[in-house]
Order: sequence, then C-alpha cells, then structure tokens
Amino acid sequence: MNDKYLWDRSGEPDAEIRQLEELLGTLKYQPRPLQIPSTLRAGRRRTFIPLAIAAAIALVMIAAGLWIHFTRSSAPPAIQESEAQPGQVPNQTPSQPQDQIVNSTLPDGITGRDVVRKPNLNRPARNNPRYIRRTPPPLTEQELAEKDQVLIALRLASAKLNLAQRKTQTLPQVNTIRN
Amino acid sequence: MIEAEATAEMLLMTGAFRSPLTNDEPIEHALISAVLDGETDRFGRLYEMYAPLVHGVLLTRVPREEVDDLVQDIFLHALRKLHTLRNPAAFGPWIAMIARNRAMDFHRATRVTVEVDENTAAAKSLNRTAKEILDLIRQLPDTYRETLVLRFVEGMTGPEIAARTGLTPASVRVNLHRGMKMLREKMGVAVTRAATGG
Repeated sequence: MNDKYLWDRSGEPDAEIRQLEELLGTLKYQPRPLQIPSTLRAGRRRTFIPLAIAAAIALVMIAAGLWIHFTRSSAPPAIQESEAQPGQVPNQTPSQPQDQIVNSTLPDGITGRDVVRKPNLNRPARNNPRYIRRTPPPLTEQELAEKDQVLIALRLASAKLNLAQRKTQTLPQVNTIRN
Repeated sequence: MIEAEATAEMLLMTGAFRSPLTNDEPIEHALISAVLDGETDRFGRLYEMYAPLVHGVLLTRVPREEVDDLVQDIFLHALRKLHTLRNPAAFGPWIAMIARNRAMDFHRATRVTVEVDENTAAAKSLNRTAKEILDLIRQLPDTYRETLVLRFVEGMTGPEIAARTGLTPASVRVNLHRGMKMLREKMGVAVTRAATGG
C-alpha cells in the first residue's frame, strides 16, 4: 500500500485505494441548497456582561455623586470666630482685634508677621473647633427623602452587581454543545 | 447547484480555508460574525464548506437515505445555536460533534440498526458494491470509520480531514493506516467466507 497516496493523494497511486475511492466516491455528498426558513435567525450574542458592567459602574457613580451631594448639603455651617460663645470670657474688645493691638505697639517698618507670637496663657482653654465632634442636626423632611433615595440607589446598585456576578459565574463552558 | 458544487470542490482542494483579505484570520471567523450580525445568507457559505464533513460523519452512523435530510437539520440547528460557539475557528469540530449527537438521537428515537450481518456481506464479496464496503467500514471503531469515510467517500486528503475535524495530522495519519488495515482484514475475512461458502 502506498502510504503517501493514502495520506494526500501524492506519489504513485495505489490500485487498491484507487478502487476504493472510485467505488465509495459514488456515495459522496451531492450538494443541495440549504433551505433556511425566513423566520429562522441566528441567536443573539451574549452582550449582557459588558452591559451589566457598564450599568453597575453608572449606578455606582450616581450613588457616589448623590452621597457626596448629600454629605456636603448636610455639613454644619462653619463656626465663625466673631460669634459670641456662651461662657467665653472675652479677652479683647470686639472692635479692636488682637493683631491691631499688636500692630499698634510695634515700631514702624515691622509688621505683625515679623513678630513671633507667644501663646496667650491668659486666654481660656478652648477646643479646636476642627476636631470637635458634633452631633448631626436633625434632618429635615427633604433631607430624609434624599437620604432614602440614596439608600434605594445603593440597594439597586448592589442588587445589579449581585445579578451580574451570578450571571458571570453561571456562564456555560466554552463551546459547550447543546442540542 | 453547479456553482455550489464547484465552490465546495474548490474549497476541498485548497486545504485550510483562509480569507483573501487577511492572512491570519480564518474565513469562518468573518462568516460567523456576519451571520451573528444578521446576515443569515452568509451561513450558506459555511454550509457549502462543511456539508461534506457532516455528510461523512452521518454516513458512518445512520442509514444512507436519512443522511441528506439530517445534514439540513443539523445546519439549521447550528444556525440557531451559532451564538454559543465561542471560538469560530472550531466550527468544524463543533458541527461534527452536533452531527454525532444527532446520529445518536436518531438511533434512540427510531431504534433502527444499521449493522450488517458479516455473512450477508461476504456472500457478494467478490463483486462488492459501495454500500457493502460502507457497511464493512461501519463495523470499524468510530475513530477509524469516520476518517476512512471522509477519505474515500468525501474525497478529502489527510491534511484536509485534520483541518476540518480538529484532529492533529498525526492522529489522522494513524487512523487512516490502522483503519485501512482493519478494513482490509474485514474484506479479507469476507472474501475467505465467500470462497468457502461460510
């Protein structure tokens, strides 16, 4: 038997194989046009994964935006130094700030910035307002409604992310053949 | 019909299918993308390219008169399920597997046996018909009979069989040689039985 001819029909033709080819060649596939019904369409590609990711990102961004907006609007107003504090002992006249007092006693050509200030030991101890822990003021009805909206948006985003994660985890294997 | 036949013949002669526009991307990739994008008529090209493979796979498993209708059914099924195919380069192995599964379903549903009594086949061994040799091939193990049918019935060469079925060329070469050896033994047995009248 000619191995080369059996493999790719090259080389000297083998009589036995030629005979088999001629005989079995009569059973060869006879081309027929494929009748595709007009209603039949190829199934759609699975595009839900990129869509789900995009939707999740969008939802997270919206939620973050709402949260930032909410925290800014509900932040307490900055405490003004000029406000009179209850129980505070005034150590200066309101109409004459301390800098002005210092500047008025300085010689000409020397500004207040050039002077090294010493801590005023007579001044009563007061907590730095930056680090004071404040209890948040009670929310108004509108703020409560906004808070509810943010919570709902966050829950929605969480549910969508869970769904997307579940779908990606239950994807069929590559090239799984289903009849 | 003639044009389709000519195209199929041409494709069978050219071996690996390559797109004329791109050197690396198989033509199947472009065709499948087009079909998935709604150009269903492009599926006809895939049908022309792979119908001989499906025909050969079915011919080793189901009665010959059922094969043509099953080829059509399998391609329509493949069109419906095309979106599940992740690797377009694997279209050949994919549709061959669908054909094998469909052949099993056929036997489950109809309970038709296609095995041939060896003595019956041997009775006419000296003047064999194509049908009789095909029946002998059907008695061989799956891997050998599929390769032999694609080689002798569909006229594919070894490299073409490898390209379409997804097997390695080495595997196809082994299957061809071992299958041919077993077929020759079967034919020899048949000839001996015919000569002795057993």
